Amino acid sequence: MSILTKTFTRKRSTHVTTTPSDDPVVEFLDAFGRRDVDTAVARVADDVRVTAHGLGLRGQGVAAIREILEDIARAFPDLRVTTKRILRTGDVLTAELKVEGTQAAPYAGAINQEKHLDLDEAWRFEVRDGRIVAIDAYWCQQQLYRRLGVKRFDQIAIV
Amino acid sequence: MTMTAHEPRTAAQYAAVVIEFFDRYRAHDVHGMGELCAINADFSYPPFEVWGKQRVLRADGKVGTVGKAIWAGLINSFPNLSNVVHTINANDQGDVVAQVDIGGTQQLPWGFVRPAGNTYREPHLFIFTVNPDGLITSITGYWNNAEISQQLGHLEVD
Repeated sequence: MSILTKTFTRKRSTHVTTTPSDDPVVEFLDAFGRRDVDTAVARVADDVRVTAHGLGLRGQGVAAIREILEDIARAFPDLRVTTKRILRTGDVLTAELKVEGTQAAPYAGAINQEKHLDLDEAWRFEVRDGRIVAIDAYWCQQQLYRRLGVKRFDQIAIV
Repeated sequence: MTMTAHEPRTAAQYAAVVIEFFDRYRAHDVHGMGELCAINADFSYPPFEVWGKQRVLRADGKVGTVGKAIWAGLINSFPNLSNVVHTINANDQGDVVAQVDIGGTQQLPWGFVRPAGNTYREPHLFIFTVNPDGLITSITGYWNNAEISQQLGHLEVD
């Protein structure tokens, strides 16, 4: 009876928590999906090498990945990142993602038309000593622009 | 009937299948690429989207029915199509991930892109699954079409 009482009188938490993970990539993606950029970048090495092929960006350091994550989180306040699968091949982890959201601010040169984005992406991570040391993000910027209503690559901000 | 158990394959052996796949791709041996795949191997190129007025063509299906047609079409439009494999990572379960540059010079239309004799080269990420028989059972590829279109001189999104 006491167990039942405890069960039915327990206060429901309003917070959803996830199981702690020792895997920096899982934690990175989990935080990215919650638009928690600080937690995500805490899992990368200070000198992380970052390539975002869709954006044509190559950079090094935490600031590079922070800028990429903050830009998309700012432009898509309802951002949802679904990890479809993660493959582990030694120190390399490859995640296939579905990235969705509704545009609420300019992004990658595209003005806000409140369009919905849904994009299949693949992110390749290299991990060393419990930190992400390299990120290669692959997505099709043409698909992204198509979703956001962009008509021409040389006139991205013109509808 | 005698059944023999498969010898466990190693990550290196699975990787070798994918290396051979890109060797055959470089040689424009589409039939040979297909021979490295299981007969019902899955095929998915998420960036491949061709929008028409009342339909959208996507590249999801099987290697035999969708994949080979796309590879043959690419080779037809880019007769010097080639690839450079930069990294291959594999595990003992048959998962293989490859970073590959693919490029060529356009001689025939490709989708909405008219041929202007321009050359493209674009980084791709491929994810393969290889079974214990050494046959590829799935291929998924990611790349950025915006960069390819612009290198080819096509500035319209659609």
